[in-house]
Amino acid sequence: MRRLRLALALVALAAGLVNLALIVRAGDAPPRSPLYLVIAIVGVSWSFVAAGLVAWRRRPENHTGALMVAVGLAYALPGLRLAQTPAGYTLYLLTATLPSAVLAHLLAVFPDGRATSRLQRVFIVANYATTVPLAFVQLLLVDPARLRCPECPPDLLGTGGQHPYGEAVMAVSDLWDVALAGLLLWIVVSRWRRAPTPRRRGLAPVVQVAVVLLVLFSVRQALRAVLSPPPPWLDGALDLAVLTTLMLWPLAFLAGLARSRLDRSAVGDLAIELEQAPSADRLQQALARALHDPTVQLAYWLPDQQAFVDGATRPVELPPAGGRSVTILRHDGDTVAALVHDAALDDEPELVQAVAATARLTIENQRLQAEVRAQLKEVRASRARIVEFGDAERRRVERNLHDGAQQRLVNLSLALGIARSQVPATTDGELAATLDEAAEELRLALAELRELARGIYPVILSEAGLGPALASLAERSPIPATVAAAPAHRLPARVEETAYYVASEALANAAKHARATAVTISARRCDGGLEVEVGDDGVGGANPDGSGLRGLADRVAALDGHLRVDSPTGRGTRITAELPCGS
Amino acid sequence: MRPTLLIVDDHAGFRALARRLLGSGGFEVVGEAADGRAAVTAARELRPDVVLLDIQLPDIDGFEVLARLREGSVGPAVVLTSTRDRPDYGERVDRSGASGFIPKAELSGAAVLAVIGSGRMG
Repeated sequence: MRRLRLALALVALAAGLVNLALIVRAGDAPPRSPLYLVIAIVGVSWSFVAAGLVAWRRRPENHTGALMVAVGLAYALPGLRLAQTPAGYTLYLLTATLPSAVLAHLLAVFPDGRATSRLQRVFIVANYATTVPLAFVQLLLVDPARLRCPECPPDLLGTGGQHPYGEAVMAVSDLWDVALAGLLLWIVVSRWRRAPTPRRRGLAPVVQVAVVLLVLFSVRQALRAVLSPPPPWLDGALDLAVLTTLMLWPLAFLAGLARSRLDRSAVGDLAIELEQAPSADRLQQALARALHDPTVQLAYWLPDQQAFVDGATRPVELPPAGGRSVTILRHDGDTVAALVHDAALDDEPELVQAVAATARLTIENQRLQAEVRAQLKEVRASRARIVEFGDAERRRVERNLHDGAQQRLVNLSLALGIARSQVPATTDGELAATLDEAAEELRLALAELRELARGIYPVILSEAGLGPALASLAERSPIPATVAAAPAHRLPARVEETAYYVASEALANAAKHARATAVTISARRCDGGLEVEVGDDGVGGANPDGSGLRGLADRVAALDGHLRVDSPTGRGTRITAELPCGS
Repeated sequence: MRPTLLIVDDHAGFRALARRLLGSGGFEVVGEAADGRAAVTAARELRPDVVLLDIQLPDIDGFEVLARLREGSVGPAVVLTSTRDRPDYGERVDRSGASGFIPKAELSGAAVLAVIGSGRMG
């Protein structure tokens, strides 16, 4: 490939030099092509070949570079006009419109290098199919003098004189050129309007020059058709204008490339922005700015879940192949993140890589944060599930006691009662006394079992709600306790249960350690939540890290609530739990 | 004439014992029901003077059965019973409109008579 490109470069160079040599040798001999026009044509040829070789080397799979080289080589052909032999001149006339046909092909498929729409294909076929045939018909019917070359050698195919339809054929040919140029203008502009933002920046110079070129070309052809022929000074000026604009096109192409590369300065801005340790959102915005693609989305890889997530750990589905592009960012071979961006950025892999490299540390950092957030979410959920499971187990054990052992002991107690009632008063009192003793033991056993069941799970909580449960708790407390406030309405079960256990544990602490003489319990609704407060008048100095209070804090935290223990020595203890009531 | 009585409880063992205990304690046990819906049907058919009603039933609970019985024009006297203590139900027993509450372990004909004799409690 390299050799081929080198050879093409040499051919273009040689062809240009031959053109220049011919004009110098021709001197004043006809045809007197103005020197400046030949220089302009050679300039066009060389600039297309040079820029085409750059494009070819950069993206060998894209045919744009090769097409540009072809345009450049084709523009060396008009030099044949200078070869003063009838054969050379005839060949020139036949191929005179070939350069603009190849150029039109290039403009129609730029920058993809191939036709993607039906309109493009139709245009290219029409463009090539009419070029040489039209020239051939012209040769047959039109006097060379009418081809703006009065002193040229005779063409081999010509009829030698002015054909009656010659004028009309010339005009039709010129107007056909105008029509093709108009269609091409439509293709170029609509393509530009549909191009995604990141691609537009690079395309802008090329499209602007192409529009000027097509307008100038159309004006020239239209004047030739209408004025047949236009004054030489006007035609020459337009020729020069077209060629100069044409020479600018490869430069515009290179400028577009440079513009993409200059965007590396945006990478510098990105580096400065990253200094501020931006949030996930800001990072994504900064990447969008650096890549000139407002639709950029950054997705972090979570190895635990084998999934991509956004900054808020919501799952992200990568787009399917053929849609938006995905650049996977890796570090030491491990996937760190995915950059979902417009497919147009595939033209600039260097820019995407530069941006990714600049932001790598920050992205890695954000990925770790996202991972930690996801793990925290999972741990919170699992803690809540553990507490919920524990409570469900308590309810189940209480119910089993109630339906099983308690029920059987109750039946036993009734059976004993029946037996006792059937002991005749006349028999000795020992049997009756034994039965009475057994009944009393049974009564105590039942009472203890009930107390045990209540400790495992207070049925009153689910039966009657937090208020009655707290009242019952206060009633059974060994130290005088009052309920100062309780919610009038039912709350979610886990909130009621947690509030109850806070009060129950705090009461137990007050009774066991605080040597308190009075306890006040209050539960109040606040800000969509519930605040439970238990205060005593004991000795204070409670240890918040003791197992009871620690377990309570964990239970409250499982609801995303907070537990505060305020227990200055000698001034009582106040335990406050804030419980959100949300889902 | 002895007052008629319907026993509602999901434990067959308890129903058998209660039948013997209350049958010899001054009541004529006219029927038994093992769940809430059967209790409502039986009460409407048998029109007992008293219903001994367990609170914890497999389908609808005793409070709900009581509420449905109260929809009829003339309702029987209802005595609630449970393995649990009365305070475990907070004020629900008081608000239910039952004649009273007897813990299962303390059930006897005399206890039931005392409760219905004293009229509605609370």
